[in-house]
Amino acid sequence: MTNNLDSPGVSAGDRAISRSYQREFWSGMIAYFVILAAVLLWGQLDGDSPWRFVWAVMPVLPALWLVVALLRHIRRIDDYQRQLLLQGLAAGFALAMLASVTFGFLAIAGLEIPGMAWIIYSLGMLGWLVTSQVVKYR
Amino acid sequence: MKNHLKVLRQDRGWTQGALADELGVSRQTVNALETGRYDPALPLAFRIAALFDQPLESIFIPYTDSALPSVQQ
Repeated sequence: MTNNLDSPGVSAGDRAISRSYQREFWSGMIAYFVILAAVLLWGQLDGDSPWRFVWAVMPVLPALWLVVALLRHIRRIDDYQRQLLLQGLAAGFALAMLASVTFGFLAIAGLEIPGMAWIIYSLGMLGWLVTSQVVKYR
Repeated sequence: MKNHLKVLRQDRGWTQGALADELGVSRQTVNALETGRYDPALPLAFRIAALFDQPLESIFIPYTDSALPSVQQ
C-alpha cells in the first residue's frame, strides 16, 4: 500500500549530489567542445606539421576531467548507488573489451574496419547506459 | 533481509526523501531498503538504529534458526 509519504522524487541530498556532478560534467563537456572546435579550426590535422599530433590529442584533456568528475561522483554517492553504477560500468567495460578483442582478431585476419576505435567506444558507452537503466528499474 | 523501516518511517510522517536526508543516502536507496532489495552495510544499519532509537534486531528481521547454516560441533 502506498500513500503520499511514498511518492517518488528526489531528496535534498540527491539534488545536491546531482547538481555537483552536473556542474563538473558539463564544465568538462563545454571545455571539450571548445577545444574540439579549436582543433578543427586551427589544428590542420590533415597537414604535415608534426604539431598536428599534439592538436589531435588535445580533446583528451577535458575528457580526462570527465573521468575525474565521475570518480568524484562515485565518492559522493552511497553504497547502494555505487553498486548500481558499478554494474553499469562493468557491463560497458566487458562489452568494450569483447568488441576490442573481436576487432583485433578480425584485423589480424585482414579485415580492417574503419572507425574501429569509435565503434568500441560507442559499444562501451551503450553497455553502460543500457545496463544502468536495467538495474535502476529492475 | 526484511525490515520494519517503512512502518517506522510512516509512523513519524516522513517521506522517503526526508528519511534519505536524515540518513545521508539517496531516496532510491531508502526505497531499495524498504522493499528488501538492498541489505545495508553495518554503518548504515547502525545509523538507522540510532535514528529510530531502536536496537538493530527490532528493525531488521534476522534469519530464522532453520535458515541459518548448520554449525559443525
